[in-house]
Formats: sequence, C-alpha cells, structure tokens
Amino acid sequence: MVKMKKLVKYGYILFTISTLTILYCLIFNPAAWIVYSVAILFIPLLILSFGLTTMATPKKDEEEDRVQEPFIGY
Amino acid sequence: MLDIIINVLIAFLFGSILLGFHRKVMARVQLRPGPPIIQQFLHSLKFFFKETTFPKTASMPFYISIVCILCAIWITAVIIGPVSKGSLLLMFAVYAVYKIVEHNAGSSSGSPYGKMSCVRAVFSASSELPLFAIIFIIYLQVGSMNISDIIAYQNIHGSLIWQLPLVAIVLFILILSKSPYSPFGITKGKDVISGYETEHFGLLRGYIMFSESVSWYIFSWLFLTIFFGDLSILLYIVGMLAISFLTGLINATTPILNPNHSVVSQISIALVGIVGSLLLMFIF
Repeated sequence: MVKMKKLVKYGYILFTISTLTILYCLIFNPAAWIVYSVAILFIPLLILSFGLTTMATPKKDEEEDRVQEPFIGY
Repeated sequence: MLDIIINVLIAFLFGSILLGFHRKVMARVQLRPGPPIIQQFLHSLKFFFKETTFPKTASMPFYISIVCILCAIWITAVIIGPVSKGSLLLMFAVYAVYKIVEHNAGSSSGSPYGKMSCVRAVFSASSELPLFAIIFIIYLQVGSMNISDIIAYQNIHGSLIWQLPLVAIVLFILILSKSPYSPFGITKGKDVISGYETEHFGLLRGYIMFSESVSWYIFSWLFLTIFFGDLSILLYIVGMLAISFLTGLINATTPILNPNHSVVSQISIALVGIVGSLLLMFIF
C-alpha cells in the first residue's frame, strides 16, 4: 500500500512538471528540437502521471489481498 | 507544440474509432453483433480509472517505464509523419524500436506468457523488419526517403500504387501483421493469452491501448500518403476505413499462424516483393 501511495505522489509531481513544460513550449515557442524533445518525453509522462493520479486504489479491507497475495496465477 | 498535441489527439481519437470499426467488421463476418464502434475508445479511457495492481514478479521501474517508452515512440512517429513529413528511414527506426519495446514489455512483467511473447517478438522482428525494408524500392523510384518529397513526386508522376504495386502489397501485409487478431500476430496470439500485455492491467493497459490506437492511425496514414500522395481529409477517412475493413475481413476469416509459419510467410512475401519490384523496375 505504501508503494501505491508513493506512486500516486510521484504521479502528482510528474503531472505538474510535464504540464508546466508543455505549457512553456506552447507559450514561448522555443526552437524546434526543444519542442520535439519535450513532446516525446513529456506527453507520455503527462498521460502516465494522469493515470497514476486517477487510478482507483484498493479498499482498506482488501488492500492486504491486493498487495500481499503471492503470484499464484499460473 | 500545438500542432503535435492536436495530431496526437486526432491519432488517438480516430485510431481508436478505426480499431473499433475493425472489431465490428470482424464480429459481423463471424455473425456476431460485436461491440459498438466506440468501444475501443471507451475501454482506453475506462482503464485509467480502474484499480491497478502491480505483480510481485514485475521488474518495477522497467514494468511501468516500458509502457511510457511505447507511447513515446508512437508520438515520435506522429512527429515524423503527419507533423513534419520527415524521413521514411526514421519511421523504419521507430518500427525497429517498437519491436524491441514489444520484446521488453513481455519480459518486464515476469509472467511466463509475457516471456513467451517476448521471445516471439524477436521472431516477428526478424520477419517484419524485412517487410518494412521494402521502402528502399521507394527510394530507388522516387530518389528520396522524405515523405514530403514522395508527396511532391506523386503530384507530378501520379500515385505510386500503380508504379510499385508489389511494394504496396508488402506494406499492406506489414499493416495486417500489426492489426488485432492478425494471422501474423504471434506476439499476441491467444495461446499466450494477451502476450506481452497479459500482466499489464488497469491504467497501464489503458495506456497501451492509447499507443495502439495512435500506431494504427500512423500506419494507415503512412500507407495512404506513400501510395496516394497528399489526400483530402475525406479521402484519408475513406482510405483508413477501407484499410481497417480489409484487415478486419482478412483477420476474421484466417486463423493465427504458428510462429514458424508466420515468419516464413512474411519473409517469403518480403522476398517476392523486393525481387519482383526490382524486376518490374528494370523491365519497364
């Protein structure tokens, strides 16, 4: 569960950084190579961080099963 | 930047509708009602809000970052293609990296199905890259690898599809091999559940579906632009729907080949395409 909370926290940080970087490129229109690099790096990060912040987390009584359950699928 | 964001959004929205249409065609051929055309799009969004768990066997930073890399390479393809109309050689490089990402996505989860798919990704790379290598015939004909030059050439000499029909067939086979439930789709064959995607669920699955929608749009766009030149928006839509319809029709009526047969078939098609195109060029 600690791991999940950490991921959500990273999600918020990444979302802020990538939004600011993309906004910088939109407003200040820097050189083409900077725009391309920002697009390639930060658009995927923006989508990932959006997902990390919106994903549902397990309920309190289920979290043990979700995180501690050994991998028995196969 | 706005141009890139708009193109990525169009690629995602239209790509997911095309994949939904592809699924619908397959369903109708198999006498099923099938899901609504918008289903692929809804699924992609839905997964972002689903509960996500991470397998204990996953190699953790890699397991998440590989999905991010998959998205990054298709955004690179959007920049090379519709945004800047750059070089086909770069598109070839993007495709080669895509095969490596497919391989690594399978191995990152630690699932046996993923690992099996990861091995098959190497097989399929060995057969799909020769298919894509046929772009050198386009270079021989046009004298340039740049998509903008190819469009300019077609404005003067007419569509390339009439001059290089075998190249078009080979590139169509490449698109076919990337379509869902393709006879050549050995990395995601149902015998390995969902292949490299098996252990990517929740938001990561939604993220993969986003990248798949973008990639389908890019493949269709690339095929139409290389062989028909710069089309109007309406013709692009008709062309993309036609490609999705044809691949859906073929996939609905053919079983998934086993890895050996798939590789041999694709290499044979690439060989026939390259040799045949060279012969045609020298004869005419």
